[in-house]
Amino acid sequence: MIVSARRTLGLIMGVLCLPLAALAAAPQPTHEFTLDNGLKVIVREDHRAPVVVSQLWYKVGSSYETPGSTGLSHALEHMMFKGSRKFGPGEASRILRELGAEENAFTSDDYTAYYQVLASDRLGVALELEADRLASLQLPADEFAKEIEVIKEERRLRTDDRPSSLAFERFKAMAYPASGYGIPTIGWMADLDRMHIDELRAWYRKWYAPNNATLVVVGDVGVDEVKTQVQRYFGDIPRREVPTAKLPLELGAAGERRTTLYLKTQLPSLLMGFNVPGLATAETPRQVYALRLAAALLDGGYSARLSTRLERGEELVSGASAWYNAFTRGDSLFVLTATPNVQKGRTLEQAEAGLWRELEELKKTPPSAAELARVRAQVIAGLVFERDSITSQATSIGQLETVGLSWQLIDQELAELEAVTPADIQQAARTFFVRDRLSVAHVLPEESRNEESRP
Amino acid sequence: MKTEHRRLGLLGLILSSALALGACASLSAPTLSGDAAKLQSLAELDGQAPTRRTLEIQTWTTPQGAKVLFAPAHELPMFDLRLTFAAGSSQDNGVPGLATLTNAMLNEGVPGKDVGTIAAGFEGLGAEFGNGAYRDMAVASLRSLSAREQRDPALALFAEVLGKPTFPEDSLARIKNQLLAGFEFQKQNPGKLASLKLFERLYGQHPYAHPSDGTAQSIPAISRQQLQAFHARAYAAGNTVIALVGDLSRSEAEAIANQVSAALPQGPALPRIAQPQAPKPGASHIEFPSNQTHLLIAQLGIDRRDPDYAALYLGNQILGGSSFGTRLMTEVREKRGLTYGVYSGFSAMQARGPFMINLQTRAELSQGTLALVKQLLADYLREGPTQQELDNAKRQLAGSFPLSTASNADIVGQLASMGFYDLPLSYLDDFMRDVQALSIEQVKTAMAKHLDPEALVVVSAGPTVAQKELPPPTDRPAELPSTVPH
Repeated sequence: MIVSARRTLGLIMGVLCLPLAALAAAPQPTHEFTLDNGLKVIVREDHRAPVVVSQLWYKVGSSYETPGSTGLSHALEHMMFKGSRKFGPGEASRILRELGAEENAFTSDDYTAYYQVLASDRLGVALELEADRLASLQLPADEFAKEIEVIKEERRLRTDDRPSSLAFERFKAMAYPASGYGIPTIGWMADLDRMHIDELRAWYRKWYAPNNATLVVVGDVGVDEVKTQVQRYFGDIPRREVPTAKLPLELGAAGERRTTLYLKTQLPSLLMGFNVPGLATAETPRQVYALRLAAALLDGGYSARLSTRLERGEELVSGASAWYNAFTRGDSLFVLTATPNVQKGRTLEQAEAGLWRELEELKKTPPSAAELARVRAQVIAGLVFERDSITSQATSIGQLETVGLSWQLIDQELAELEAVTPADIQQAARTFFVRDRLSVAHVLPEESRNEESRP
Repeated sequence: MKTEHRRLGLLGLILSSALALGACASLSAPTLSGDAAKLQSLAELDGQAPTRRTLEIQTWTTPQGAKVLFAPAHELPMFDLRLTFAAGSSQDNGVPGLATLTNAMLNEGVPGKDVGTIAAGFEGLGAEFGNGAYRDMAVASLRSLSAREQRDPALALFAEVLGKPTFPEDSLARIKNQLLAGFEFQKQNPGKLASLKLFERLYGQHPYAHPSDGTAQSIPAISRQQLQAFHARAYAAGNTVIALVGDLSRSEAEAIANQVSAALPQGPALPRIAQPQAPKPGASHIEFPSNQTHLLIAQLGIDRRDPDYAALYLGNQILGGSSFGTRLMTEVREKRGLTYGVYSGFSAMQARGPFMINLQTRAELSQGTLALVKQLLADYLREGPTQQELDNAKRQLAGSFPLSTASNADIVGQLASMGFYDLPLSYLDDFMRDVQALSIEQVKTAMAKHLDPEALVVVSAGPTVAQKELPPPTDRPAELPSTVPH
């Protein structure tokens, strides 16, 4: 019941898993099958501990929504805990809790997902409960009347009273002029105020079908037992027609967009974003991997360029970041943020100029061999570290599948990244880090509203 | 958005003590019969508590006096090393922020290497260095591939960082500025402001009272010499617990522990801090122009060695300890839609940590919500849990037991906590056994002994607005409405 995953793919290793000769650990067996009703199932065996995670991913999220009806996917996620044919509101959660399970859900622009982590002998309970609410959600009006108030509290807590979140919401609305990616996942308050239970019922009927979902199971299980249980609980749910979801496509060159936000903040901050493709929309995958390397060169650790040059060298910023999520259903955004070092009297304009210097440097000069070697070492180690968590493994698989990519991309990651040449990075920087693709937000304290805008 | 002061995120927050979950013990009498009638999968469970990952925890003390806890885990070619020092802000000794600043400066310079070289050193090996300082403890950690090609240089660099930090002046000035920027960010966060005020109210003159990060007044004056002296005293081998998990043999683990503890300053454990005095009850308000009002309702709780620990842990689980289904969550969120979340917890620390209930609600309902929560607490302390609540909470803890040691990251956290708080190697099992043996009366008595509804310290942060009455509670509908047609 969280709006989550703003998909900060901070470092490059968000999603990879492993081409295995590079590593001493044997790969976990991973199996894939599809039920007759279209439910796709991926099972990865990890026998280190007697636990399992089950995640059901639906291909629907806030980027599927339309103006006036924002927040539907997230509100429906909340209502999925309010009863289905076999259970009253909250009852399934109580049963899971009494079994010692962790459970929750998360919604993003491209997906809505539900998960349980529990002792592996109890997997059947998680599957039966999940299948029941896929087949027969009740959506009672009186429960919705209370839950929408909870959702508004969530919005006040996590967006309206949190200046950095509020700024990012406004920034995204500007940076994605043509697609549903400009819609905040939790929904605009005005839309929450007028949301009706019938809209949720329609949204549920439209998207919650077995053929629009992917089940990912990772843990101490065998594929045969999982197959039997999945067939037993999900097998009778009928396939239903689901609308064709169009990829969220953006304007390649919408023109430079700028906004100034006065918020309840003490310190100024800066957001910059370039409209770029994701892996699903790029002309060539090479461009995408070059952009991921660009993000890693800028912000892949404390030894990367933004920390080394802007934070410690020039002391221009007290913090800065760069990130890019390639694993989107449609186009993406390459985002940079900075907080100017006000103790040293640095301004937003100077911080923006500093970020531009780093972007220009990417266009002009190829990265050093040492920098690329560091990125590679981090990717290789990250592949192993990710395997310490069954949840991370399941999330990587589920996210890729849900945005229309194959989980097997994981196995190609390292090779794809290694194939990128320094010239590819320069070329991608020249193509995408241009003013026509740029959105900029200057975030300033409310008190400065009436002051000279350029300090 | 990623927070813009990322590095500051490593610096202190309140330590919520890692509450370990414990052991096997058979399930208490099943009350799932009604549910089992509805659910095939439930009817088929054998009623046995689940097992957990087998741990071969080993412990010893290095020649320099560091306590070591080690668990081999050969499944993945990696290891996690976590050093825990009794070097949190409770050791600041009148210089708020000294512990945090010392910890944050460890990786800023060693002889012959500047901060960039150190960062490039770890990152070039794919290794992750981590650090943080809290009220009781300071932590430094390393995660690396276990092949010698990565392991040896990563450990050598880690040992230098922990043992020979040079605390360069230029880094000190920069990190102080980042801390000062962090204080400015705190001013936009009513929840953080309320929390700082609460610790001040609860602890008065005790060293838990001041913020771990220090203050805008204290930080600028801290000198390099003070950091060096604090490091020599508080990062001494005798004041250190080493937790180690991963693809290592016992002899490799011993060599690592020896290498690290020999690199640390030599010296004994620091004396434990004194217990705090009982605070003066009552309410404080912070005026803040937010939409919601943040509410913190607290008292002094217990230290980590308190014999009532298991009873209070279980008692709190039922009140507000485990997100959904608790008394607080059911009454405040589920029945009334007043909040996104309401939680309660005992932070058991070296000295008595806080018991705290926290929540946020829209400002115009804050007084009514506060009264409701206080009433729910008073009712629970007077009545104690029901048999059903007790049985369910026991079953929940037994069922979640395997999750507490599932990953290497989980295990190293458990070992560090057991080592730091002097718990026996059998602790995980002991705790679960103790919890499963508790009666209603024992839980009720323990809760009532430690909490007094008339002695609460309350802090609120939000706008002053005209108050409205709470909406009436609604229970679940008596019958389910019609199914959504497909």
